[in-house]
Amino acid sequence: MSSAHRLARVASAAVMTIVAIMALARATALPLAYHPSPAARLRLSFSARPERIEVCRTLSAEELAQRPEHMRQRVECDGKFASYRLRIDVDGRPAGESVVRGAGLRHDRPLYVLREYDIPPGRHAVHVTFERREQTDDDAEAFAPAVAVGADTGIFAGRAQREAAEHARRAEAAIPKRLQFDTTLVFAPRRVTLLTFDAERRALRLFGAL
Amino acid sequence: MRILERPARRALAALDALATSAYGWAWNPLHQTGTVAVAMLLALLATGLYLVLVYRLGAPAASVARIAADPWLGAWIRSLHRYASDLFVVAAALHAFRLFAQRRSWGPRTLAWISGCGLFLIGLACAWTGYVMAWDTFGERLAREGARLFDVLPIFSEPLSRIFAGDRPVPGAFFFVNLFVHIVLPLAMGIGLWLHVSRLARPTLLPPKRLIWAIVGALTVAAIAFPAALGPAADSFTLAERTPVDLVAAWWLPLSERLPAGVAWSAALAALIAALLVPRVTRRPREGSWAPSHVDPRLCTGCNQCPQDCPWDAITMVPRDDDRPSLVALVDPARCVSCGICAGSCAPMGVGPAGLTGRDQLTALRSCALTALGAAVDSPIVAVCCAQAPVTHVAALRARGALVHQVPCVGNLHSSVVELLVRQGAPGVIVCGCPPRDCVGREGPKWLAERFFNEREAELQPRVERDRVRIATMAGGDLRGTLAAYDDFARHVAALRRPEREANVELQAECAPPALAEDAS
Ligand code: SF4
Ligand code: SF4
Repeated sequence: MSSAHRLARVASAAVMTIVAIMALARATALPLAYHPSPAARLRLSFSARPERIEVCRTLSAEELAQRPEHMRQRVECDGKFASYRLRIDVDGRPAGESVVRGAGLRHDRPLYVLREYDIPPGRHAVHVTFERREQTDDDAEAFAPAVAVGADTGIFAGRAQREAAEHARRAEAAIPKRLQFDTTLVFAPRRVTLLTFDAERRALRLFGAL
Repeated sequence: MRILERPARRALAALDALATSAYGWAWNPLHQTGTVAVAMLLALLATGLYLVLVYRLGAPAASVARIAADPWLGAWIRSLHRYASDLFVVAAALHAFRLFAQRRSWGPRTLAWISGCGLFLIGLACAWTGYVMAWDTFGERLAREGARLFDVLPIFSEPLSRIFAGDRPVPGAFFFVNLFVHIVLPLAMGIGLWLHVSRLARPTLLPPKRLIWAIVGALTVAAIAFPAALGPAADSFTLAERTPVDLVAAWWLPLSERLPAGVAWSAALAALIAALLVPRVTRRPREGSWAPSHVDPRLCTGCNQCPQDCPWDAITMVPRDDDRPSLVALVDPARCVSCGICAGSCAPMGVGPAGLTGRDQLTALRSCALTALGAAVDSPIVAVCCAQAPVTHVAALRARGALVHQVPCVGNLHSSVVELLVRQGAPGVIVCGCPPRDCVGREGPKWLAERFFNEREAELQPRVERDRVRIATMAGGDLRGTLAAYDDFARHVAALRRPEREANVELQAECAPPALAEDAS
């Protein structure tokens, strides 16, 4: 190979390498649009336990007698987990509506809400309702009645009371039947406003608001 | 899909020619895309080791910003890490394209193809998690897209997307799992790589050292000159108008973002199935030029050479079923890719795919090249060219007056062919093969040189003047190199005395094993 040819090859190799490097550097950091519109965003995000809607009855003494002692549960409940309707209106116009259920095949896991709505920047009236769809009411009173303290004995002593307390605790931990959020907000361009469920106050509230 | 092979082959030839004209065939990185990908994995391991030491799970964005701001070490190591990952993706994609275009994606190569698809996917997943580690706007974009895609699958009861909702800080567990996956995936790649080359007798894992250093050097220069982009730190409450996007390692992102998650999964699945089906739809019936090699036990002397030369470990030595004391070679058709390398390795010409054994080669030679040689007034130089050689090069040699004899691969070439040519009056024989790293038979040029000049079994006999034989490389894009090699050889041959033509050369009989020769007498 002549030296002129060698030089030409080195030059072409250098040019090609530089072009390849620049193409690689460019292609690896191409600024691509992500949120091209200046819209703001209202984000609803929370998780909570759905209510359990149960119909309970107290078993009679004869029914209990037919069962082995470890299965003598005095109150038997049958039911399902509640589902909810979530609706958002912005400036009086519906922005979205959906049904929310607990996770899992039987919907017995906590429910998770994550909804996002693009909203033009500026001041807007936001109205959010989250309410149970089922009309049937829980039969919590079924736990209260007449299982006298001391009715269960031995290692089963106090079982009916414990079950009633557990039922009440679950009802308390569940999300309320109806939640509502109604206010006017100022939305800044490309900023997210987050609405969440405050489990302590048992209410919807803006994230970061006191 | 086979209909795509021809245009793919043309495109590959054009790319190869371009790269060869710029770098020369010895430095052409396109001839070694597979090994370049492995070299990039090593570069990623080396740079990743440093990065993982300075990365902080508790403050991912801040720690990466600190690394990027360190001009002495962090900035360029991080950039080199990123560019190496991009080059890995490019090299792996080109490697697959090359094998597809060269019809090397089916039969015994199926395992390599499928494991290669797996390695490519793991590489993309690694890049994905790596970007998420940086937790800038692009990392967050990738994480959100990943969460969106996974949320439609019935895997997690809580939607992953809630991690980034902003009502709580992104949990450290998320970054821990991400880092864990980013570190574990390369281990899976190690296993995948082992599978990928497991069928090969002598896998070549790395490019030549000088090419490794050249590539790593070029990437380091790129890392210093164009530090890898780092977007602003991710913020759940800000919608970035645009983000830097790595269109090499995350080429799928703009596509996926435009599709509903279910459709994106379906498209990805369809693409994966199409890729995995390539070996099936490109396979050929194992007949004709795709027939597996075959041993003629009468000719096999049990010398154990073909098992050593076969690049695919397809030949074993087994006991004979006649009364001769030696072992006999046996080809496993399931491992044989019909490359024909064994044909050139067998002195008694007892092995090779149908039509390619040494005996078949001598017959073919007699029926065309020798006839032409005999008819020529002034015997021309014979150029034995690989069938993969560019037609323009072959035509140029013809135009120079050479008598061209083509063989499927120079690694198949039995030394007797060259011997016969010389003994029949050819003043010189130049064997033009592909660049060694671009041989479809993997080791053709290597074994050819060993047999001709280093007395490897099935060697070119000492009675053949070495001055009359030369090996050259014929690479698309380097016609000048091909012609220079030919012209140099022609000048050399012109200075030699004219050879004498021997009568009645019967190399088949000369090469027969003693047992068979005795039988014949
Ligand atoms: S190279 Fe030929 S003689 Fe030697 S083992 Fe193979 S088939 Fe038999
Ligand atoms: S043709 Fe011969 S060398 Fe090639 S894979 Fe088959 S047995 Fe091995």
